[in-house]
Amino acid sequence: MSTTRVALIAILMAVPANSQRRPDDPAVKDFNDRVQQYWDLHKKIEDKAPPVDKKKEPDPAAIVAHEQALANGIRASRKNAAEGAIFTPAAAKSFVAMIHQALSSGRGDAARGLVLGEGNPKNPKSAAKIDLMVNSKYPPHAPVSTMPPSLLLNLPKLPEGLEYRFVGRNLILYDSKANLIVDILRNAIR
Amino acid sequence: MWKSNVIAWKCHRIALGPIFLGLTFVAYAQDTQLPNKKDSVKFAVIGDNGTGTKAEYEIGKRLAASREKFPFEFVVMMGDNLYGGEAPKDFVEKFEKPYKAVLDGGVKFYASLGNHDDASRQISYEKFNMGGKHYYSFKPKNGVRFFSLDSNYMDKKQLDWLEGELKTSLSDWKIVYFHHPIYSSGEKHGSNVELRSTLEPLMVKYGVDVVLSGHEHFYERIQPQKRIHYFIVGSSGKLRDGNIGKTALTAKGFDRDNAFMLAEITGDQMFFQVISRTGQTVDWGSIRRAEKISKSTDSK
Repeated sequence: MSTTRVALIAILMAVPANSQRRPDDPAVKDFNDRVQQYWDLHKKIEDKAPPVDKKKEPDPAAIVAHEQALANGIRASRKNAAEGAIFTPAAAKSFVAMIHQALSSGRGDAARGLVLGEGNPKNPKSAAKIDLMVNSKYPPHAPVSTMPPSLLLNLPKLPEGLEYRFVGRNLILYDSKANLIVDILRNAIR
Repeated sequence: MWKSNVIAWKCHRIALGPIFLGLTFVAYAQDTQLPNKKDSVKFAVIGDNGTGTKAEYEIGKRLAASREKFPFEFVVMMGDNLYGGEAPKDFVEKFEKPYKAVLDGGVKFYASLGNHDDASRQISYEKFNMGGKHYYSFKPKNGVRFFSLDSNYMDKKQLDWLEGELKTSLSDWKIVYFHHPIYSSGEKHGSNVELRSTLEPLMVKYGVDVVLSGHEHFYERIQPQKRIHYFIVGSSGKLRDGNIGKTALTAKGFDRDNAFMLAEITGDQMFFQVISRTGQTVDWGSIRRAEKISKSTDSK
């Protein structure tokens, strides 16, 4: 058995079974569908953004132009997107439970310290102003919170480029390619 | 049998006598204390550098001066490559200008991502050589492979990738680097225990030799842990003066000024030298690669 599998099993064993990804949970399935819809939109808009060599672009201005065109296109397409469009109330309930159990058992203390610690932009030691709104950008001066592996392993998988991050106790769905806040789950750590 | 020992080198100039001690120290401080062998792998390490401040520029100059005597071919970056804004001008002011002399000399930089980095902008940037990826590996020469990780977001996909890479790598030397140190005596951050419990079993199993990190704004060489040698190089732009706490982890620490590291791999030895902003050598020595218990079998 591989080391990763051993480590994963150890992590999962430290967390009660009902906190795991819950693939059969209709709320999680609905969340995954909504994430996929968003990502389809992202890809469609990205195809129309100014070209950039994603592997080795020599001009930073081209990278920034691509990112901004992508973000503007997504904003325009989702101008009426409201908080909770992806973290629906049902999904929010499931996420709060998953996060609570992951942070309160096994390596929970270390994970909680990592989430709320110095890397979190709402931590007093690294406080940064963030307008926590759907479609707003993640400010360049703010650090990004480090996501504990034990928590990530218990949350639904996301397409590459879409990430979970914490701002204070709020979980955001962050489009790192467009530098955009896609949705917010307020008070996710309770 | 595994072996790991740190050998302090003799500074022959000290033997010149007390009359010349002051002069000797200046000369010694500016010298490169590495074997500088013809076919070795020569590289530099910087971390938490992207401030655009005077300190970063001074380290950049010192790096260039070192290269005149020690022609390293590439630089690995421990993250926080660009603090604050990441507009096009920031790539120039916080990276291209401070390291212009080294870049002009054809030296490649291989970045990893810190918690102050905008991943989407940096992974595509040609001069960071990340190939559009948050994590990647590269082999500068046969026998040595570097693995650059994104410790901000250690999800299953990355862990699976790392295990696959480590398992299939036939390189004698496996050097892993990422931003957050899993062993540290820093009073501000300290060891990232959560990350350690995930990464360490993999690194031990697949015979990683050296782990390089940043995040802590100082230099620290850690006592070998489970046969792996750990270095923190996080003061190439930022500095957290006096932040190394007293722990049993420290083999050598330096938290009084900015610093960077030079390293050379030849055969089973890796030599290292850590140089401060003012040109003083603050740590140096060599480590011997541990003999592997078992070799992987495929052809990577």
